[in-house]
Amino acid sequence: MIVLAVAHNTFREAVRDKVLYVLLFFSATAILASKALGWISIGQDIKIVKDISLAAVALFGVLIAIFIGTNLIYKEIDKRTIYTIICQPMRRFEFILGKYLGLAALLALVTAVMTAVASGYVLVLGGTLDATFFLAALLIYWELLLLTALAVLLSSVTSPILGAIIVFTAFMVGHATSILNELPDHISGVTRVMMNGAYYILPNLSNFNIRAEAANGIVVAPSYVAWAMAYGAIYTTVLLVLASLAFEDKDV
Amino acid sequence: MNAITVTDLHKKYRSHLGRKTAYPVKGLSFTVAPNEVFGFLGRNGAGKTTTIKILCSLLKPTSGAASIRGVKAQSRAARRLIGYLPENPYFYEYLTPRETIDFYGRLRGLSRTAREEQWQSISDLLDLRPIAERRVRGFSKGMRQRLGFGVAMVGDPDVLILDEPMSGLDPVGRRQIRELIHLLRERGKTVFFSSHVLGDVEQICDRVGILVDGTLSTEGRVSDLLHRRVDRVEITVGGLTESKAKSLAKSASVDWRRSGAGDCFVVDGLEKANAFAQRVLGAGGVLREFVPIKVTLEDIFMEEQEPAA
Repeated sequence: MIVLAVAHNTFREAVRDKVLYVLLFFSATAILASKALGWISIGQDIKIVKDISLAAVALFGVLIAIFIGTNLIYKEIDKRTIYTIICQPMRRFEFILGKYLGLAALLALVTAVMTAVASGYVLVLGGTLDATFFLAALLIYWELLLLTALAVLLSSVTSPILGAIIVFTAFMVGHATSILNELPDHISGVTRVMMNGAYYILPNLSNFNIRAEAANGIVVAPSYVAWAMAYGAIYTTVLLVLASLAFEDKDV
Repeated sequence: MNAITVTDLHKKYRSHLGRKTAYPVKGLSFTVAPNEVFGFLGRNGAGKTTTIKILCSLLKPTSGAASIRGVKAQSRAARRLIGYLPENPYFYEYLTPRETIDFYGRLRGLSRTAREEQWQSISDLLDLRPIAERRVRGFSKGMRQRLGFGVAMVGDPDVLILDEPMSGLDPVGRRQIRELIHLLRERGKTVFFSSHVLGDVEQICDRVGILVDGTLSTEGRVSDLLHRRVDRVEITVGGLTESKAKSLAKSASVDWRRSGAGDCFVVDGLEKANAFAQRVLGAGGVLREFVPIKVTLEDIFMEEQEPAA
């Protein structure tokens, strides 16, 4: 299957790139260094380690999604590797989907490795792990899938630098979209309409954030996780359809 | 049915602000017969690569039509019929040639067994085995070009479209490519390629088309193009006085110069040269050399580049 061939190749290229291991090394270092913050919060060290570990998984995952994702299609055009691919008997959306799935597989591996390092560290420190901790990691991965789809869309229409800025902005704003819907009364008129509109258009990434619950061992309902995943899947699908449409008629 | 048919093809580019418009291809039409080697010539910017990219679905034409064996060029079915070697081909740096050929086999929907067979035949033909397990990253230009040829041949397509396959290659590399193109023709393939190396084109092409500013200015069989022009003949004669030679040249309106070898006349056309030689002999001259100067593809190419008066 063509999509899997492209996905497999994208994954293989990425795991052979040394940059990935540098990012993984820094991520592991951040997880292990979380104990330092645990020392200054008496009796809370395991909570702090869990919280910072999950934040590290999210942050480094986002960095990989941004740096690899915004380059994903652009690099193929810039390096001209795309010439011999697009002329094959395949549809263009298969290429977009294959590239996306390859990066999604890479992010799954990275998230799994980082979560394993974080889990091992928590256990070594004498802490315990519950399902919420792993559900938090799962939702982080789901958030990465959405951001990667946005990165792929931008990669097919703009430069990596501009793409990276937009994805990072979406990441920051996406975690604070409630501000856009809970505006103070003095904001009115067009500004209010635009900000409310942005609330519904921008991805609400806080839906994927259950890190505080994971750190404090609070049970999260499976229905909430399922809802968040469905929200992410729909948003991601829309972004990938837009990426495919943008790429369909593109001259390369 | 033609291997390639291009009819009134146009491609227009607009700058980002839409103020400037460029037409790399305007009203281009030509055909390539099955099992033909067609040389697509033109200066940089003449529209060769744009045309090739349209044939290979990398660019969409603004208007006009292109087809591969009667199938619309921008379709999947047409892409199944072609193998494409871009100019300066780039492949995934972290893959080996074996993995690269396998990857393109997967994109063509070949089974694992078929892909293995493809690797065996392509690596034998292009001598890829010694570099089979090396990553493409450190490859020289010649090695990349060989691998590019291999990629174009995956799936055994009927029509090979090659963009500058000889650019930047040393004489040995160019010879290998020439032999390969001959071999492909023997196997019944159609080869359409652009090139700047006119000597090579003259040797291996059945037909050529010369592209000037996005339109085809000349097209035809190489042999016809080279023989349809009036040949010049250089006649070297001894035994004439300078004044006699000068008056012969003047009366026949031919170029003349005197050198150590004798009097040298340059006459346009074989018939005129024969008649002139008879006159020279009649005037007491001794014929030393009679050398027809053949028109080369380069002469024709250069002529086509000159703006019309």
